[in-house]
Amino acid sequence: MSHLKAIYFLRPTSENIQHLRRQLASPRFGEYHLFFSNILKDTQIHILADSDEHEVVQQVQEFYADFVAVDPYHFTLNIPSNHMYMLPAVVDPPRLQQFCDRVVDGISALFLALKRRPVIRYQRTSDAAKRIAHEVSKLMYQQESGLFDFRRTEVSPLLLIVDRRDDPVTPLLNQWTYQAMVHELIGIQDNKVDLQSFGKIPKDQQEVVLSAEQDAFFKANMYENFGDIGINIKSMVDEFQQLAKSNQNIQTIEDMAKFVDNYPEYRKMHGNVSKHVTLVTEMSKIVEERKLMLVSETEQELACNGGQVAAFEAVTNLLNNENVSDIDRLRLVMLYALRYEKESPVQLMQLFNKLASRSPKYKPGLVQFLLKQAGVDKRTGDLFGNRDLLNIARNMARGLKGVENVYTQHQPLLFQTMESIIKGRLRDVDYPFVGNHFQQGRPQEVIIFVVGGTTYEESRSVALQNATNSGIRFILGGSVLLNSRRFIKDLEEAQRIARSSSSVI
Amino acid sequence: MATRNRTQIFRKHRDALKSVRAPSSSSASTSGRSGGPVIEMVSSSLLHPNQSYAPLSTEDPGSSSNGAVTVGLPPAWVDISEDIAANVQRARVKMAELTKAHAKALMPSFGDGKEDQRLIEGLSQEITDLLRKSEKKLMRLSAAGPSEDSNVRKNVQRSLATDLQSLSMELRKKQSTYLKRLRQQKEGQDGDDLEMNLGGSRSQTEDDDFGDIGFSEHQMAKLRKSEALTAEREREIQQVVQSVNELAQIMKDLSVLVIDQVISRFLAAIYYCVFSALGIILVNAVLSSKQGTIVDRIDYNIQNVATTVEEGLKQLQKAERTQKQGGMVMCATVLVIMCLIMLVLLVIKEILF
Repeated sequence: MSHLKAIYFLRPTSENIQHLRRQLASPRFGEYHLFFSNILKDTQIHILADSDEHEVVQQVQEFYADFVAVDPYHFTLNIPSNHMYMLPAVVDPPRLQQFCDRVVDGISALFLALKRRPVIRYQRTSDAAKRIAHEVSKLMYQQESGLFDFRRTEVSPLLLIVDRRDDPVTPLLNQWTYQAMVHELIGIQDNKVDLQSFGKIPKDQQEVVLSAEQDAFFKANMYENFGDIGINIKSMVDEFQQLAKSNQNIQTIEDMAKFVDNYPEYRKMHGNVSKHVTLVTEMSKIVEERKLMLVSETEQELACNGGQVAAFEAVTNLLNNENVSDIDRLRLVMLYALRYEKESPVQLMQLFNKLASRSPKYKPGLVQFLLKQAGVDKRTGDLFGNRDLLNIARNMARGLKGVENVYTQHQPLLFQTMESIIKGRLRDVDYPFVGNHFQQGRPQEVIIFVVGGTTYEESRSVALQNATNSGIRFILGGSVLLNSRRFIKDLEEAQRIARSSSSVI
Repeated sequence: MATRNRTQIFRKHRDALKSVRAPSSSSASTSGRSGGPVIEMVSSSLLHPNQSYAPLSTEDPGSSSNGAVTVGLPPAWVDISEDIAANVQRARVKMAELTKAHAKALMPSFGDGKEDQRLIEGLSQEITDLLRKSEKKLMRLSAAGPSEDSNVRKNVQRSLATDLQSLSMELRKKQSTYLKRLRQQKEGQDGDDLEMNLGGSRSQTEDDDFGDIGFSEHQMAKLRKSEALTAEREREIQQVVQSVNELAQIMKDLSVLVIDQVISRFLAAIYYCVFSALGIILVNAVLSSKQGTIVDRIDYNIQNVATTVEEGLKQLQKAERTQKQGGMVMCATVLVIMCLIMLVLLVIKEILF
């Protein structure tokens, strides 16, 4: 195939370099144009130059895109070994190093693409965050300081590295806004939704694309809650039916010509309408099956307000309910444990036992593992609003006022963090600077990276915050995109490794 | 996006390493390399005698040094696809010219506009030729062949087909808007002429009653009117012909689209319209045959008009008479007289008492 020119777009990992070496030694194509998504080390260039005996390589460029941009203010790194951040370094040092390297590469590619060099702050209580922060700082300020020496603006942007374990509640909650709900109930991977496991779906709807860039309806509705989506879909379907009816009214040749001209657009609209209708139908079915309205109401109560006794009763009732699925039961107990960890441990034990007896696939000790990782002692922020007096007062006021929608009352902890940044009140004790960095005044660009993954609820929070034009632009990133299933899977993996390693040690 | 070019460093390293490696094997490699292309070209030409080498300026077969049997030239269908792409490009350029010519022809001018028409016709003809040739070549692209690159061929074919389709739709849209605007302009002019003609003929027939003014003038007016009618009928027939052509084009477009329920209903509508269009043509033909040609029937028309006008006069006189005799007039006059009498009586009463 030597009449073809080959373009390679790769991550500059050692594996890829080895594969390329083999290719270049016996080249298949006429010309090779290599693009790498991150910084190439000199040694890697040497290796490539060494193996290019036939001089087929025409150009070697770095094109900084070592991350996946999911939404305008949200990126992810899709790291498979995400659970490593929960384990201490001694358990599996090489794997943890790999994880941290990948995160550092992703963050540095992001800043090279943005052409900025930030001031770095990290969450004090998290080892992973501290490690990553220091390594990023080393890369940007010492190792590749020439590359990162961009035109300095008045106020440097801020990179804030936090840990998922500071807010374990958000990934566990069930979501009711469109994008978050689809990811929670079905799963969005790279802006694609795979509906094959749900029966009776027509062939062309089995894998659909859900992206705000290409779908105007989705862009307008991705942050709306389920009820409003239903109304909007109905109006879209009505519009479409009007169009279909007018298409049937063909009298003259001009009408016919117009119909044929408009047919491709009609088809596209038809596809779009049926896609959204299919998604909402499937989600309604799931909500009905798993009785999610009931479960989610209790979840929101646990996360936001409510007394301990009432919560305990509600959770017990739901645990006894046959229709509730195993994962929902697990989530309820986890949320209860996170909230009322210290109050009445007896009742907590009761719940654990009930959970173990009801759910056959439950891995025992998972909730305790979660508490060990993200219990009240480990958390920095005020997750439930019951530490700080001001927050308690705010909660009471909210309780008295009542909420519009019981199902969307939860605000992720990220929202509070963003507010403190805007007011300039992010505590140095909790979020220290790296080295001797210092920031004067408020930053205008803030990149928040959550080690352990972000959720679509948080991305919604960020998008809404950016829309208020407060003068600060927030960008959110994470190592993966979490939903409750992925979070629990990470917990299970980490628990398994911790257990096996402790048994070894 | 931010990028950084590392090609310089790479080349530097490569050259440095080459000079280190080179002294032992340089002679062999360079001679092999220079001999390589010659051998390959010869063998490839033997293998594929009907391949055209003209568009292959950029492909260099010298990179594969493992044996001279490997063909360094792309397969034959790449030539076809490149031809089609070149045609599409040329058609686009011509379409831009056509738009300009359309705009110029539509502007009001005192000249005859014949050259503009010829230019437009020529351009449209060229573009349609280009599109038709490209479509034929496209059919050749999908011919059965080895299954290795069938995916690539299908993709290339699809992309070229979408380009061609969009171009032909654009062309037709431009032509139809141009014709519509042209027709509007012409109708504006012709409508006035028609009215003047009719008005003239009407005034002439009124004079007919008062004597024999001049048969030739009368006849000329009638002739003009009939000519206008003929022209109008011809235009209608042209319209129908054009509609049938448009229908043919639409059917061709439909063959590209996916058939589903909407389309089948649409096809039913088309069949109905086609039949009705044919029906219109047939009816027109029958009517014209019944009347024969217009010119022969002038005396018949004149007689018709004369009799109808006489009839009309009679009816008018009758109507006047009946209206005069009408009860309404009687009542009204009686009432007015009564009013006057009452008024007189009132005055007399006042005077006497």
